[in-house]
Amino acid sequence: MSELALEVKGLTKTFGGLRAVDGVSFEIPAGSLSALIGPNGSGKTTLFNLITNLYRADAGEVRLFGAAMAEAGDWRIAVSGVVRTFQTARVFPGMTALENVLAGAHRHVRSAAWQQMLWLGGARDEERALAAQAEALLELVGLAPFRDTAATDLPMGAQKLLEVVRALMAKPRLLLLDEPAAGLNDGETAELALLLRAVRDSGVTLLVVEHNMSLVMGVADEVIVLDAGAVVARGSPAEIQRNPRVIEAYIGQVEAAR
Amino acid sequence: MSATTQAAVQIVIGGLLQGSLFALVALGFALVFRMTGVINLSQGAFCVLGALVCYSLQETLHLPVPLAILGSVLAALLFGLALGAAVFVPALSRLPNSSMLMLTAGLLTFTQGLMLVHWGGDPYALRPLSGEAPVQILGVRVPSQGFWIAATAAIVIAAFWYLFARTTLGKALQASAENPTAARLMGIDVERMAVMSFGLAAGIGALGGIMVAPILAVQFDTSQFFTISGFISVAIGGMGSFVGAVVGGLVLGVAEQLAAGYISGLFSSALALGLLLVTLLWKPSGLFAIGRARRSDVREELHVHPAIVRLRGRGAVGLGVAALAVILALPLLVRDPGLMGSLVITGILFIGVLGLDVLMGFAGQVSLGQGGFMAIGGYVAAILATTYGWPPLIGIALGCAASLVCALLLSLATVQLRGHYLALATLAFGLVVDSLDVGMMETTGGPSGLVGIPSFAIAGFSFDSDRSMYYLVVAIIVVLVLALIGGMRGAFGRALMAIRADRLAAGALGINVARVKMAAFAISAVLASLAGSLYAFYFHYLSPEMVGTQRSFEMITMLVIGGEGTLVGPLLGVGLLTLLPTLVQSLALYKILAEGLLLVLAFSFLPEGMFGGLARLAARCRERRAPALATGFQPRKEVP
Repeated sequence: MSELALEVKGLTKTFGGLRAVDGVSFEIPAGSLSALIGPNGSGKTTLFNLITNLYRADAGEVRLFGAAMAEAGDWRIAVSGVVRTFQTARVFPGMTALENVLAGAHRHVRSAAWQQMLWLGGARDEERALAAQAEALLELVGLAPFRDTAATDLPMGAQKLLEVVRALMAKPRLLLLDEPAAGLNDGETAELALLLRAVRDSGVTLLVVEHNMSLVMGVADEVIVLDAGAVVARGSPAEIQRNPRVIEAYIGQVEAAR
Repeated sequence: MSATTQAAVQIVIGGLLQGSLFALVALGFALVFRMTGVINLSQGAFCVLGALVCYSLQETLHLPVPLAILGSVLAALLFGLALGAAVFVPALSRLPNSSMLMLTAGLLTFTQGLMLVHWGGDPYALRPLSGEAPVQILGVRVPSQGFWIAATAAIVIAAFWYLFARTTLGKALQASAENPTAARLMGIDVERMAVMSFGLAAGIGALGGIMVAPILAVQFDTSQFFTISGFISVAIGGMGSFVGAVVGGLVLGVAEQLAAGYISGLFSSALALGLLLVTLLWKPSGLFAIGRARRSDVREELHVHPAIVRLRGRGAVGLGVAALAVILALPLLVRDPGLMGSLVITGILFIGVLGLDVLMGFAGQVSLGQGGFMAIGGYVAAILATTYGWPPLIGIALGCAASLVCALLLSLATVQLRGHYLALATLAFGLVVDSLDVGMMETTGGPSGLVGIPSFAIAGFSFDSDRSMYYLVVAIIVVLVLALIGGMRGAFGRALMAIRADRLAAGALGINVARVKMAAFAISAVLASLAGSLYAFYFHYLSPEMVGTQRSFEMITMLVIGGEGTLVGPLLGVGLLTLLPTLVQSLALYKILAEGLLLVLAFSFLPEGMFGGLARLAARCRERRAPALATGFQPRKEVP
């Protein structure tokens, strides 16, 4: 059996009287690309916030690559190799696109602040190497022409991509993406699908919250369906598409809304 | 009743009276905070303004007392409404919260400056409302004015309750505070409500000031004492809670009087700071927290920091070299010794402002206590050199070490908290250092200052002329600026900018926000300390107001009008505010007023500062050629 990147056991979080996440359990094998879907308010983002310690769970446990990190600060989660993006693009205002991507490399920077202050050769070499990596990543998603543009001046789709690239710069073991395709047009979404597959093939485990069904069904190895804070189904994209409970809970709703 | 119990009762009653005053100031704080989410540092100035206007109405216009009180409260209310409508509320939609805090510091300085110009620097006392004779209760003597203070506080609290519980206006205020968007959809003019709360808070503050002025003489800069006492009261009670404001005020009043009665008056302000830090550690949201759920994955600040204009590439290096050449040549051109002295002071203050730039311009944290660290550096180095004959260099190093320890303690207590607790802890810290400077007469020389400080000397060479000191300071600045440019262009600088821009997203990338903030604060404290030491060695004299809270505010103004986050930009601000009063001597009285006004104007019209404005102008002039301007730091290759 392969290593587990993420184990969630009986995770529960209530806000006042609302059980936003209610006894959720699942696990994600390392190296897979899983999708987390569910109607609005089904607890997907809350689950992300619990996994990355932005919220403290009321009950249950999260294990990241076998380690329980419930007590650790949010930054320690990232240092351990679990990096997330946010539902609304949270690029750093006041910084250029390139600087945003470089900030993603923070957990890998070896030279200390005083070495940078003294302009030591080692620190400058490291910076140069990081800049080259960051530019290569920007090139990959077609943002290279905007490397010196203030990140917040980019269109929303580009900001979402930039956030994904920034997370990639952190070279995560597990990458949690919260609605990466929101705000992207069809062409950009297709490119995102290619990017996600390439990332998976390079050995990174992905868990993606997404509403765009064509993206989910096209790239995911496994789909987990959340409704009202609980897992209602999981399986391959094909199985999920046939599952009557899913159609009732989620896809049925989408049809009705149209 | 025994003498000790009697003394204790006396102290507690005194504390409750002082606490009633704090409660009044705190209510104003709580009101504005609840409506706008901003800690309004100018609150204390309205107290003093009320008292001073009341004095003039009584003594100059000879109005009867009730009319004078009514008139002065109205005057403060109108002044508050005007500031609120013209400056405070319009800025709410444009500035991030940390800038709003500095804007209110600007309003505080501006109002203090106005009062200094009109009433001068002397303390004023009002006549007690019902005679000088104290009243006997429980065998202790209480000044009759105390009952007026307590009664006023009780009436204001009752009026507050009535306003919020029983009136439509109160409901509209409440709705605007809870959910501005929904309130707006219900047809409530949220901006007007904010202006009204600002004016109302000013009026309440004025009333407090008027009531206390018969037992506590006030002068223009008593404002800072009112502001910090009121703030500590609300922080203890719970930001935005009216009940908390009242309870917090009473707790602080009694605690301060107990400390003054049983330990020493010197420590009552230190106790206030200690009480604040303990409350923040034990119950960060205060005793009566008002619960307001916030989604923690949504950006905390509605209005994000604007992009900072920085020069880059060969152009920047060329300009830097040219500027350095001019700076090195200046002493050869300047013949006037007064001007030469101002140039040295500009350099020394710039060292402290550089530290502030790292903290505020890069990490987005506000420090209102930079003067306090200057004082530590100044007094430690000066006392060691003067009283004990230690070498200046060792004094400077020990001063920096002491500042570092204070900075780490302050940030350890506040770093985990959201909002601007660090800023307010630094303000309290600065005021504590102020009171220690004044109070420890034997070591610091007290209010009249420490005299006979030797010149800075190293290895037998004494920097005793303006010119040698100038070149020493320039050399230190060049080293510091180069080091900081190196640090800010690398991972450390990016981490600072990232936490300024978005704390949570920074944490999600593995940036240890608490540690990075502490590092920035430590750098700012050490540089301020260094500046303070040099200041003492240059002047051969050090007095509390040279490195006091007014200096802290002045340094913020210098930074903001120079250009935050640009490292070299603030030099323009420091130069302007230091050289202008030297060149135009008659301006001295207007200095504080001008500083406040410039800070407010900079936030309103030139948020990127003089440096940013000039850089933008330069870019526009040569737009057709290769663009040499970008927002943010640039890749390493282009700079040698």
